Formats: sequence, C-alpha cells, structure tokens
Amino acid sequence: MPLIQVEHVDKSFATGHGSISIMKDVSFIVKDADFLAIVGPSGCGKSTLLRLIQGLDRPTGGRIVFHDKGVDTVCGHMAMVFQNFALFPWLTVAQNVAFGLEALGWGKERIAAQVERYISVTGLDGFQEAYPRELSGGMRQRVGLARALSVEPEVLLMDEPFSALDALTAESLREEILQLWRDPALPPDAVLLVTHNIEEAIQLADRIVVLSRRPGRVLAEVTVDLPRPRDRKSTAFYDLTDKVFSLITQPGPVSEGPGTPEGAPAV
Amino acid sequence: MPTIYPKCNPTEMVGLLVLLDSHKGSEDVALLARDLDLEIDEILPALEYSEVLGLVQVVDGRATFSDIGRKFVAASIRERKALLRDLLKRTTLFRTLLRALENHPDRRLTDDELAQIFSLTTARADDAVQNIVNWGRYADLFRYDSEAHSLIPTRRPSAPKGGGGRTPPSTTPTPSTSGSALKKPPTGSPPESARPAPVAAVT
Repeated sequence: MPLIQVEHVDKSFATGHGSISIMKDVSFIVKDADFLAIVGPSGCGKSTLLRLIQGLDRPTGGRIVFHDKGVDTVCGHMAMVFQNFALFPWLTVAQNVAFGLEALGWGKERIAAQVERYISVTGLDGFQEAYPRELSGGMRQRVGLARALSVEPEVLLMDEPFSALDALTAESLREEILQLWRDPALPPDAVLLVTHNIEEAIQLADRIVVLSRRPGRVLAEVTVDLPRPRDRKSTAFYDLTDKVFSLITQPGPVSEGPGTPEGAPAV
Repeated sequence: MPTIYPKCNPTEMVGLLVLLDSHKGSEDVALLARDLDLEIDEILPALEYSEVLGLVQVVDGRATFSDIGRKFVAASIRERKALLRDLLKRTTLFRTLLRALENHPDRRLTDDELAQIFSLTTARADDAVQNIVNWGRYADLFRYDSEAHSLIPTRRPSAPKGGGGRTPPSTTPTPSTSGSALKKPPTGSPPESARPAPVAAVT
C-alpha cells in the first residue's frame, strides 16, 4: 500500500479574468522508504503540489490519498521544511522546535523530552537557548528540520530546502538528511523533495518526477539506481543529469518519453 | 587554530568532508572546488580548518582523509559532534578558552574578555569572536548568552571537580594520532600580549 497516491491532480487558481491552470493530470505515488524528488522549471507548480499533498490546499480536480484516506485536511503525519527556514525570530531554538508539538496539545514534560531528543538528533545540542538571528543558515535549517521531525512524520516534505544555503553547507545538510532518512529508528519513512537543482535530485533521490512548465504535467519518472554516496562526475550521473535536463527544456508539450505519465504502475 | 581569518562555519567544513568522501577520500583540491562550481579560495577556509583539526592532509594540492577524518565522515551527526568536541579541545585556542571560562570568578566570559585573551584587534574582534563562539557552540563546548554577550559553561556533565574545582585534571596535551595538527606553528605574526600560551593569531 503506497503512503501517498497523487491521482490525476489538477490545480488552478481564480484570477480577475478567469482562472490559471498551475498543473494538470499529475499522478504518482510515494511508497514507504521512498526518497522522491520533484523537479521542473519555475512556475510548474512544484511547491503548490507539496501544499496539496500536505492538505494545506485542495486540488481543483483529482485527489490525493494518504494511506487509504483522502487528504482533505492538514495531514499530521507529514511535516514540511522550507527554503527560507520559516522560524519564529522571537522564539529560541527549543521553542521553535516545540511549536508543532504544542499545536498537537502535548503536555509540557513530554514536549521537553521530545524537543531534546530531536535537537540532539539534528546536532543542535548547545543551541537550545539561541535565537535564530544568532545562527548561520545551515543551523537555522537544522532547526526547521528538528521542528519537522519532532512530530515524527511519516513523510518529510522539503520545499527547496538547500537553495538558500552556501554550497558547502548545503552539501553537509544533504548528507545529514540522507543519514536521518536511512535510520530506521528515526522519522521520516519517506522524503518528498522539491528542487530546481537537477544534480541535487539525482544525488539524493531514488526516483525523480519530472514536471513540465506550466501547466505542470508529469513528463517522466526517472529512476536513479546508483549506490550512495553518488559521484557527480561519474558517467552514469552525468547521463541522468542530461536526461532530466533534456526533458525539462524540451520546447512545447511533450507526448513521449520514458516513464508513465498516467502514474506509477499499480503496487 | 586560525582565529580571525579565514572565517568558516562548522557546517562548511563538514560539507567539505562530505564532498571529499564522495570523491573516495582523496582528491585534487581544484577538482573538489570545481565539483560544486566553486573557486578554490572558496573552499580554502574549510580546508584549512579540517587540516588544523587533523581530519585532512593536503600534500601537493591534493587533499586526503586522515584516519580520524575517515572516522568523522563515517560517523552519525551526534558522533561527529562529540568527535569535534574532542578535536577542538586539543587545540591551544579552545583549551585556553575553556580554562579561562572555568577559572573566571563568574564562570562566564564576555566577548570583550575573549577578545582580550586572544589579543584580537578591534577591527577584527567581532568576526573572530563570533567565529570562535560558533565553533564552540557547534561542538557543545560551551553555551552563549546572547543578551549578556557572554560564554557560559555547557549544561553537559563535565569532569568531576576536585578540591577547589578549578582547572580540569588533564591539562597536558594527550599524544594523538594526528600529532601534526597540534604542532602546527601559528601562522602570521606572534601574539602581542605577554601571555605565555601560544595562540595562532592570523593577520
């Protein structure tokens, strides 16, 4: 049973003179222990797709299923990490991490223990009382990560999480995400990463859903079968980069290509 | 240990080590930089820190993991923090700092006092202090009170205090596998203060 099924999702927004279609007929699944990346040109609806999956917004057509239930409200089994960290500047690191747990109505002691656990897991020990302004970008994103993981989500949604970081720090955080994902004793089970960085997608993910320009459609699902850590300079890596890049930059609508535009095969 | 320049965040150094690992532990420095579309001087600060801490050796423009470096990159996030704590504690800078913190009557050290200890000139003091504080916090060697601009001791249980509870029992450097890092001479001009402790004050 897949964790998430995205089934023929359409999304459009009303404008002053009608509506604008952001995505059309998008289908794919997320399985347990998946690391799935979604790539596509800007404006193709990648971020919107994450919001739909989490239940922050509703599709205009089609549906999204989590386990076997339709997603019609914010799903507590998923948590999001944002490009610009989205921390509350007036709260300390510990308070920021605790925020999601307070919303769940947990008791003070239980929250404190959980916060300590995920501060430790993400390497934030010693920064509990720090404010976001005292932290580098990489450390702020760790706080975002700790906050997301503290609610022990089955699926970690990541919206361009490394784009605002310097290249070396991004490298370290990518590796840490992989560590956490691989650890069976820690959340999450699956990761859904939205990125415009094709190399990053190939470096991290097992499968890549490639979206077209707006209205976003699934051009292909590309499988990445390389052992980790992946060598960006290897021929296999380069070939995949080339393949995804070609898909994205093809002019006009695409009707051919590998993968299954109607969605992944039935599990 | 470079205190003023170069400026580098711990996450950048970890990123460099992860990058080196993806190049099977040994690579030409120029190629490492190119892999991330960076210039060599953009990775040099991180490289220098990793050398000083004994994680990497650079010979003829080629960076290679030491045994500790290999161990670091194979470790979990938590284990890396503990490893880094040990490595920083072996540097003169952090030993001096921790001893000063321990011996201070209030058991806290303001930014200014820190700058004085390491004879940091006003122009560079803020950056340098911030850099030192950043590394120390990252390795959980101490905490920082941002309101009072002071270093305060970590909450972690420290070595048991004997007698007057002043300096920790083991102040002599332990022989380490990366001895070259400890013996690395300070680059740049010698410290201006009369303090006997050698400090790498890089100009």
